[in-house]
Amino acid sequence: MSATSNNSHPLIEVRNLDLHFGAFHALKNVSVSFDSGQLIGLVGDNGAGKTTLIKVLSGIHKPNSGEVYFDGERVKEFHPKQAIRFGIETLQQSVGLCDNLSIARNFYLGREPIKHWFGIPFLDFKKMREASTKVIRTFGLRDNVSADDQVEMLSGGERQSIKIGRAVEFKNRVVIMDEPTNHLSVREREHVNELAQQLRDQGLLVIYITHDIHQVHKLADRIVIMENGEKVTDVAKHEMTSDELEEVIRFGGRDVEKEEVTV
Amino acid sequence: MNSRHINIFSRRPDFGAIVGVVLLFVVFSLVDFSNWWSGRTLGNILQFTAILGCIAMGQALVIMSKEIDLSVGSVYGLTGIAYVTLEADLGVPGAMLAALAIAGGIGFLQAMAVIKGKIPSMIVTLGGLFAVRGLIYVWTGGSAPTMPRDSRAHWLNQLLGGELLGIDAAIFWTALLLILLTLVVWRTKFGNRLLATGGDESSALSRGIRTDRIKTMAFVLCSLLAGIAAILTLADNPQTHVTLGDLMELEAIAAAVIGGCLLSGGRGSLIGAVLGAFIITGVRYELISLGAPASWYITFVGIVVIAALIFNQFLARWASNQA
Repeated sequence: MSATSNNSHPLIEVRNLDLHFGAFHALKNVSVSFDSGQLIGLVGDNGAGKTTLIKVLSGIHKPNSGEVYFDGERVKEFHPKQAIRFGIETLQQSVGLCDNLSIARNFYLGREPIKHWFGIPFLDFKKMREASTKVIRTFGLRDNVSADDQVEMLSGGERQSIKIGRAVEFKNRVVIMDEPTNHLSVREREHVNELAQQLRDQGLLVIYITHDIHQVHKLADRIVIMENGEKVTDVAKHEMTSDELEEVIRFGGRDVEKEEVTV
Repeated sequence: MNSRHINIFSRRPDFGAIVGVVLLFVVFSLVDFSNWWSGRTLGNILQFTAILGCIAMGQALVIMSKEIDLSVGSVYGLTGIAYVTLEADLGVPGAMLAALAIAGGIGFLQAMAVIKGKIPSMIVTLGGLFAVRGLIYVWTGGSAPTMPRDSRAHWLNQLLGGELLGIDAAIFWTALLLILLTLVVWRTKFGNRLLATGGDESSALSRGIRTDRIKTMAFVLCSLLAGIAAILTLADNPQTHVTLGDLMELEAIAAAVIGGCLLSGGRGSLIGAVLGAFIITGVRYELISLGAPASWYITFVGIVVIAALIFNQFLARWASNQA
């Protein structure tokens, strides 16, 4: 896939996306594009459409109209499996880890390594343990946590670390983080934000969704603001201060909207 | 065994059922020593356990995927009737395959109604329970078909229904299925995805797992296991009746739940389900042999289920306090 990638087209491009849930118009003619090696802050109030947009990108929702291109290729099938095949990893606060399974089992969920034993495909627990133990050690989980422990024993920050570690381990190209620091302690929050920047520095596209414009302004290269299902602002970080952006969110985007040309 | 091992052991979902079986042996030995330990008593209990355990394993798989199958008693009955009736035309192997295909087909249809129709499995399989029982009445017209003597002697019936090395064949086959399915659940891709689907479906979906396919597999396996249980029963004694398998669904669910399957999904044990079947069968047999009226049996199963659940929760709390 990487052989076809060049700089002539963005990694993800969304054109005129429309999505209705019954009478509710969740996305209104949204067009936006994202490049590799960027950390995008996607900001907006509840119901602004930011989570709906990333659910389209991660294959959970199918848009009513409009197109999505990944690496120049038109996306035809919207299913989480397809998104994973593209290398899009979505980290959601409450989704992604099964509490009833061990860390090792969760780590490889959906792409379990296989070892044949008398021709029968069994799970390769050795490999599953090794990779997840590496992540447990690198991503700063408590020392006494082992790959065989159930996920329900982990703290919120440790869960996020496992998810981020998994995104790195599987060589993803896009990591979408949906409110990754909610319910985390101050130290854990800093840790997760550092990890987000590390992913960007490794050349991944990171889409960071939050309510907190001040927090994401420190991290992001570009800020996209959504409101009532529309994209109202799309600026490089240096173009506006976080206070100015907060005004945009508070008073609606129309007045200060920068005209962005999207194909 | 150091304390960590004891700890892990006591956290097993089937820990309660293991303790329950030990208690059952102690109590029944004390109450009825001469009869309980006789080969005939234990042999009979084990044979019934094998049949009910086979159905309970299927139920456990469905419960692990956070669904339920109320139709297994009727599917057990219909598979048995189909096996005995179709034998005249298809021969023993042909009838066996056809009967199992019917069982698997019912499981598949119910799974489609649950997944495509988005109807709770409790409702779909309740419908299945009635519809399939109705099919039995229609098919037999109330008669009780049986298999001719020649067919009973067929090697397949001997293999599945006779005795192997002095043990009832059903016990042997259920034990084999138990080992195989336990490996499937805990050591294969499918098992990992089944537990994930039942434990947290949206997380499983987000990892790209086709949870609808996993659930379909669970329903089909469950119906197939009910069908296998019917064939194991009738290969031994090919006598049918229209109420064949009546209330078996509730016994199977009770066995799975006593064995540590949580109705909230994602946790359970196939060994536990079989041990649960042993507890139910053992209590029934012992009550009857102690002279309790047979009509009390159903009441007692109900009490055992509730007591077992309270006991399981008590044990789980105790185990987590040991940590």
